[in-house]
Amino acid sequence: MKLSTLLTSVVAFALIVAPIAASAGKTLDTVKKRGHLRCQVSTPSGGFYNLDADGNWYGLDIAVCEAVAAAVFGDKNKKEIQVVSTQQRYTALANGGSDLLCSTATWTMSRDTQLGVDFLTPNFYDGQGFTVLKSSGITSALQLKGAKVCVTTGTSSELNLADFSRKNNLNISAVAFEDWNVRDATYLKGGCDAVTVDKSSLAANIISFPNPADHMVLPETISKEPLGPAVRQGDSQWADLVKWTVFAMINAEELGVTSANVDDMRANSKDVNVRRMLGVEGNLHEGLGLSKDWAYNIIKQVGNYGENYEKYIGSGKGALGIQRKGTLNELWTKGGMMYSPPMR
Amino acid sequence: MATWFGTTNLRCKKSEYQGENVVAVSDNNKEYVHIKPKEQFDFFHDKRVRSAFYQFLIAAAVAWFAWSLIGNTAQNLESRGMHTGFGFLKVAAGFDSSFKLISHEPGVGTYGRIFIIGALNTLYISALAIILSTMLGFFIGVLRLSSNWLVSKVALAYVEIFRNTPILIQIIFWYIGVFSLLPRVKNSIDLSFGTGNLLLNNRGFYIPWPIPGDLLWLSGVAIIIAVIAVVILRRWAQNRQDKTGQIFPTFIVSAALLIFLPGIVYFMTGMPLDWDIPKLEGFNFVGGASLPPSFMALLFALTIYHASYTAEMVRAGILSVDKGQDEAARSIGLRKKWAMSLVVIPQAMPAIIPPMISNWMSTIKNSSLAIAIGYPDMVSLFMQTSLNQAGYAVELVGMTMAFYMFVSLTISWLLNIYNKRVQLVER
Amino acid sequence: MTIIKASPTPALPAPLSETSVIGWMQKNLFSSVFNGLLTIAALYIVYMVVKGMWVWGIADAVWVADSRRECFSINPDGACWAGIFAWVDNIFYGRYPREELWRVNLGILSLFIWMIPLWLPRVKAKISIGLTTVFLYPFLAGYLFSGGDKGIFMQIMLTAAIVCLAGNTIHATIGVFTGRSLPEFLSSLFGKKNVHEKTQRNIFLGIIALSFVSIYVWQMSWSLGGVSWTKWGGLFLTFVVSGIGIASALPLGIILALGRRSKLQVARVLCTSFIELFRSVPLITVLFMATTMFPLFMPEGFVLNRLVQVIIAVCLFNACYMAETVRGGLQTIPRGQFEGAHTVGLGYWQTMGLVIMPQALKHMIPNIVGNFISLLKDTTLVSIIGLFDVLNMLRAIGKDRTWLGLHIEPLVFGALLFFLLCFVMSKYSRHLEEKLSTNQNN
Repeated sequence: MKLSTLLTSVVAFALIVAPIAASAGKTLDTVKKRGHLRCQVSTPSGGFYNLDADGNWYGLDIAVCEAVAAAVFGDKNKKEIQVVSTQQRYTALANGGSDLLCSTATWTMSRDTQLGVDFLTPNFYDGQGFTVLKSSGITSALQLKGAKVCVTTGTSSELNLADFSRKNNLNISAVAFEDWNVRDATYLKGGCDAVTVDKSSLAANIISFPNPADHMVLPETISKEPLGPAVRQGDSQWADLVKWTVFAMINAEELGVTSANVDDMRANSKDVNVRRMLGVEGNLHEGLGLSKDWAYNIIKQVGNYGENYEKYIGSGKGALGIQRKGTLNELWTKGGMMYSPPMR
Repeated sequence: MATWFGTTNLRCKKSEYQGENVVAVSDNNKEYVHIKPKEQFDFFHDKRVRSAFYQFLIAAAVAWFAWSLIGNTAQNLESRGMHTGFGFLKVAAGFDSSFKLISHEPGVGTYGRIFIIGALNTLYISALAIILSTMLGFFIGVLRLSSNWLVSKVALAYVEIFRNTPILIQIIFWYIGVFSLLPRVKNSIDLSFGTGNLLLNNRGFYIPWPIPGDLLWLSGVAIIIAVIAVVILRRWAQNRQDKTGQIFPTFIVSAALLIFLPGIVYFMTGMPLDWDIPKLEGFNFVGGASLPPSFMALLFALTIYHASYTAEMVRAGILSVDKGQDEAARSIGLRKKWAMSLVVIPQAMPAIIPPMISNWMSTIKNSSLAIAIGYPDMVSLFMQTSLNQAGYAVELVGMTMAFYMFVSLTISWLLNIYNKRVQLVER
Repeated sequence: MTIIKASPTPALPAPLSETSVIGWMQKNLFSSVFNGLLTIAALYIVYMVVKGMWVWGIADAVWVADSRRECFSINPDGACWAGIFAWVDNIFYGRYPREELWRVNLGILSLFIWMIPLWLPRVKAKISIGLTTVFLYPFLAGYLFSGGDKGIFMQIMLTAAIVCLAGNTIHATIGVFTGRSLPEFLSSLFGKKNVHEKTQRNIFLGIIALSFVSIYVWQMSWSLGGVSWTKWGGLFLTFVVSGIGIASALPLGIILALGRRSKLQVARVLCTSFIELFRSVPLITVLFMATTMFPLFMPEGFVLNRLVQVIIAVCLFNACYMAETVRGGLQTIPRGQFEGAHTVGLGYWQTMGLVIMPQALKHMIPNIVGNFISLLKDTTLVSIIGLFDVLNMLRAIGKDRTWLGLHIEPLVFGALLFFLLCFVMSKYSRHLEEKLSTNQNN
């Protein structure tokens, strides 16, 4: 092959490939250049990431995505939601396919250290439970000896089920599915005796069953499930940004700032913490690489943590109906675990 | 011009033809002529140099490419905090497989064991699918060649329909459209005419499993002895027929040997075989063995899809045998059945075997589509689930691909040996 | 005593069993008791299958409904085709914005216009037209489908593609009507008939350059809105993946096959191991390798989107199967051709390009079409990776709130769709095979 041919082909290849690939650089720069945030969820699931009739996404995890978009762009709608199956979500995140994973992913040590992703801070503390038919007569998870339990593959639920079965000598056989819709459909047809997943998802799914009154959630909680957003490992600036977005929402509730009174608070509040958070004083925004209105935009457009909880999970219209009182999702001042480090 | 010293009657000629030097040497009154071309070593046009140079270029380019890939991989893995190495194979896997041929305890069994489970699952369903699809394919292929117009057209419709539809759609259809519609556990379909031994429901297909007694191994030994005896008997009968023309009732005698010898041993040792029959206890059937619906859906889909390809190969192979062979066989009085099995099919086998090899390897590769319906074969169990729970992308993908390479190359090597033995020596 | 007749006995008409339908039936269907039983069994099977499909698919089916519940209330036993009709746009175009669908249609139409000259009889230079299809059409289609800002390179290639398309069409029309080629026609426009080939070529190149510049200026004035690749889906995505797969698999496959037959040891070893590697692993593992390992191979910051990863994997995989096809084609060329070319003094690449490949390609075309058919069927595997091709769209119907649980009808529809496509193409490939084999008279 002549040298000229070789050179031409190399140049041609480079020119063809270059437009396809994104440019190098840190995640924040990439996101700003792209003009919108790319968030990754799984198949729509009630309360956390769901689709309404017009094709718009809503839910507690979507609220986190919108908050980050509001922080970076000042507009919560500058986001693109990608649906990736639970089996492939970590690979897709680690390889840069999306900027943020917000799909009720449980923060575990092996995921944090081995899969090339970083978990930030939980935005919902949950536990795993079982759904059974009331007519089966089972009243406790310890009665599931030899049962077949449906579970979604690639989740911590699969591992916790195996641990629970081993610990109590229950000989449970797991039937794994990629899509939770197929999992629930199999359970409804009698293909397995119980379904196991985080209790919040159990509650959401029962609502969508044909006869919700026929099913019940067993009382046992067999694991800890801190659910939270995750980002790709290796970009600390981006990780800080997402982490402090979540903390800003929690902090806002602690300080009593809501989407309704944030304008008033920004103009008139004398509380130094409020003023620092909303950018009136201090320069906290510089460390994140954002504008000084970043927290103000979050609270104004998305709301604080409590508002979002009630809207999607709590007692709002169309929410899941899981009471916040007495659970771990309360603020630390009320006995729960929602605690934001000081924003100063 | 070269010269040669030391002998008498030296003669030296220079030929004008292409500058070759002709050196004539005379030795003891014998003259003979050496024609020695002029050795001109033109470096840039020498074939060996050019070939070496291009090979060096290619090798250098590939090596540079590979080195940059490996470098990038190492750098990316480090920046993401992902680890490498095969040590994870000794780490306990926290999850279980819903179908396994060997025992595995989640939390105790390692990822290495998961690899073996996945390999066994793949080989198990591939072997079953290959056997069933070959049998079905031969049957349909012969039907295609039937003189009955309707039957051959029905077979043609079968082949065309199942060949032109993607295998993945067929697999999903069998799973969602057939095996999910089976009834619940309490209303299981009983395939054993009411005795409750073969049960089909939407959790699986339940069959009784033998529990070997103490002396069952004697019956096993008896079976092996009977098989060896049958082989020797057939050789002896064939030799006798070749020499004397007397036909020995080989089939009946071998059948009798195979049934009665182990049977007598079995009865004499007290019938040491018990059956573990599946019984409904609590939620599920306990005892016996079961095959999950995903297994059956995959098996049906693979069998039917590959049988359609096999049928075409069989038909092409049989048609490739000269029609004269069939006519000659019929004209010496062989009935159609014997003509087919003694004359035509043995000659068709060399034409059928090579495409069959690739069809069988294709079956093994298509069994990896189990991932779409949740049957835990190698790809689904090892490459996807383990990848999600443990990381180690490069090692997992590499091991899975190495497994398939090993299986494919082994099968094609074995079948190539058989192929060479079966190939006709052309006249 | 012999009886001799002076005139030949008139031939009797053929017996009833040879001519009439009943005779045919008796010979083919009922020639023996066993055959008769077989026929009856086959008739029964056919009747049950056809009746079942007719009742489920047409007689009891619901064609118009708003949701699955409505389908059930109208007729629970039949197929609910209404769901398919509601999703037809998604199945064929994916989630492409509806107001931009004209771009997809325009892209497909331009492919047809580009490739039609290959079938018209009097058009010359078919190979060049084919080459331009492979090298220039992707740029036109790529820009039409994805839009967005045009870089310099894209602008140049887009202009070249448009010029080429216009040139091809004019050349084809001229060829069909007058039997001449475009350069000849252009020269005749300038009054220079039957001149030296070089002059023709110069005039042709001049006009091409002129049109290139004018179209370049024209296309700088407009640009199409960007449509992200995440919105591509359905049958459109299937064809994009398989089209790029087959178009790039052919040159790659030729190189690999030549490498495998090469006398250079290094090239032979490398190509053989590459081909054997990809032929012995399933496509799904290659796709997984693409999505998990390709991003690791890229230098820091270089991100390939999932569609490009899948396309690269499909190209590599198919190139190996194509290499085997090419190798088979090369094996049919007698040694005399190689030796003859060597005698005349042609080098390796000249031999291959001018003598061997044109002959081998003719033998390979039916197999190449066969490769394309199986690639089309294999593209359904990308649904496992998460790309929204036809199969994924069909399965998504059953997960949509309105049509929850509609699983079987979309699969049947998909099977019918693929069956139609593959059946037509395999019939065409058989027709090609016959046409080509009758052309060789040895």
